[in-house]
Amino acid sequence: MNCKQALPLMHEYLDGDLQGSEALDLKQHLLTCPECHAIFRQMETTDALVRSIPAPVASSDLTDRIMGSLPPVKKRSPWIQWVRKHPAVSVAAVFLLTMAGSFGSMWNNNTELMVRGTDLDRVIIQGDKVIVPKGETVKGNLVVENGELVVEDNANVEGNLVVIDGNMYLASTAHITGDKIRIDQALSWLWFKINEMVH
Amino acid sequence: MNLVETRLAKLARNGDRGAFEELVNLYKDKIFHLAYRMLGNKQEAEDAVQDTFLRVYNNLDRYDENQKFSTWIFRIGTNLCIDRLRKRKPTYSLDAEMPDSDGNDFYAMLASKDNLPVDQIILSETQQVIRRAIDTLPEKYKSVVILRYLHDMSLQEIGDVLKMPVTTVKTRVHRGREYLRKKLEADGNFSK
Repeated sequence: MNCKQALPLMHEYLDGDLQGSEALDLKQHLLTCPECHAIFRQMETTDALVRSIPAPVASSDLTDRIMGSLPPVKKRSPWIQWVRKHPAVSVAAVFLLTMAGSFGSMWNNNTELMVRGTDLDRVIIQGDKVIVPKGETVKGNLVVENGELVVEDNANVEGNLVVIDGNMYLASTAHITGDKIRIDQALSWLWFKINEMVH
Repeated sequence: MNLVETRLAKLARNGDRGAFEELVNLYKDKIFHLAYRMLGNKQEAEDAVQDTFLRVYNNLDRYDENQKFSTWIFRIGTNLCIDRLRKRKPTYSLDAEMPDSDGNDFYAMLASKDNLPVDQIILSETQQVIRRAIDTLPEKYKSVVILRYLHDMSLQEIGDVLKMPVTTVKTRVHRGREYLRKKLEADGNFSK
């Protein structure tokens, strides 16, 4: 072993990381090399001196100063803690609430009569009453919101009839080729809207 | 894993001031010792200790119970000291370069005053020399040397605190030791 190899081993030894045979090799070298031996003694002394430095004493009021510098205790509501622990569920809940809220407000705000259809010139509107007059033929669907739909004798509707939040009066001789649908609850209205969006 | 400290940290997280004060009492001297050696003066060290606990308190939510509390608080303390060292570098570097042959430099005077009254602690000249040698250690060796020698941490623990590989810690311990040895040798502190 030469002096260059010995130096890192001295450090390893002082770290407490030198294993059996290498430790022996180092010992052999130190016994035969006064320079390395001197350096090794200096290192040992350095280590001992550094370790011997006494711990300084902090001011006695340090704890009080630390405690005094803390911000006031924040009372966190269990709700916020729950939200922190379940971020995904929280996001989903907020989304659903927003959706439900916007649908809800749409449902509540619509109190004016609305008529939709492909063949509206054949229909008579009186106040909130939508009339398909006697013997008239309406082609396509007819949708009435917030009003009454009256289909008179022998009138024909070649499509679906939908009444939202209102009533439907069909004469016994009226002829409807499609479905007759009446919606007056928020939930089924929602279902209808979603279907409408999808199609 | 130290269960007591983890339990105290949990209590403190839920707003228990008493539990936090216990943590302060368990760690303030250790962090002060660290900061004092890193920064070389008492006032700044106490400020750093205060900052450390404030940061611990504000981040209790983020404390990972799977790691040792001591590793976490030492990391915060070390980082704050390193920040302070970096901030003041331009004004203090001249000081550090000055020859300190007769032991009457700024650091030595400050250091000896700090420990008054000296009933129990009488600093030998050699100890003052080693303290000054540590003060002049380059920052990256300083933290490693302090954690290793003054806080008796294993190389692995130091790696955890400083978030660096053990091999890097080892290299820095070796270089730090070599630096200090040469400094002591230059000051004629090794007889013969």
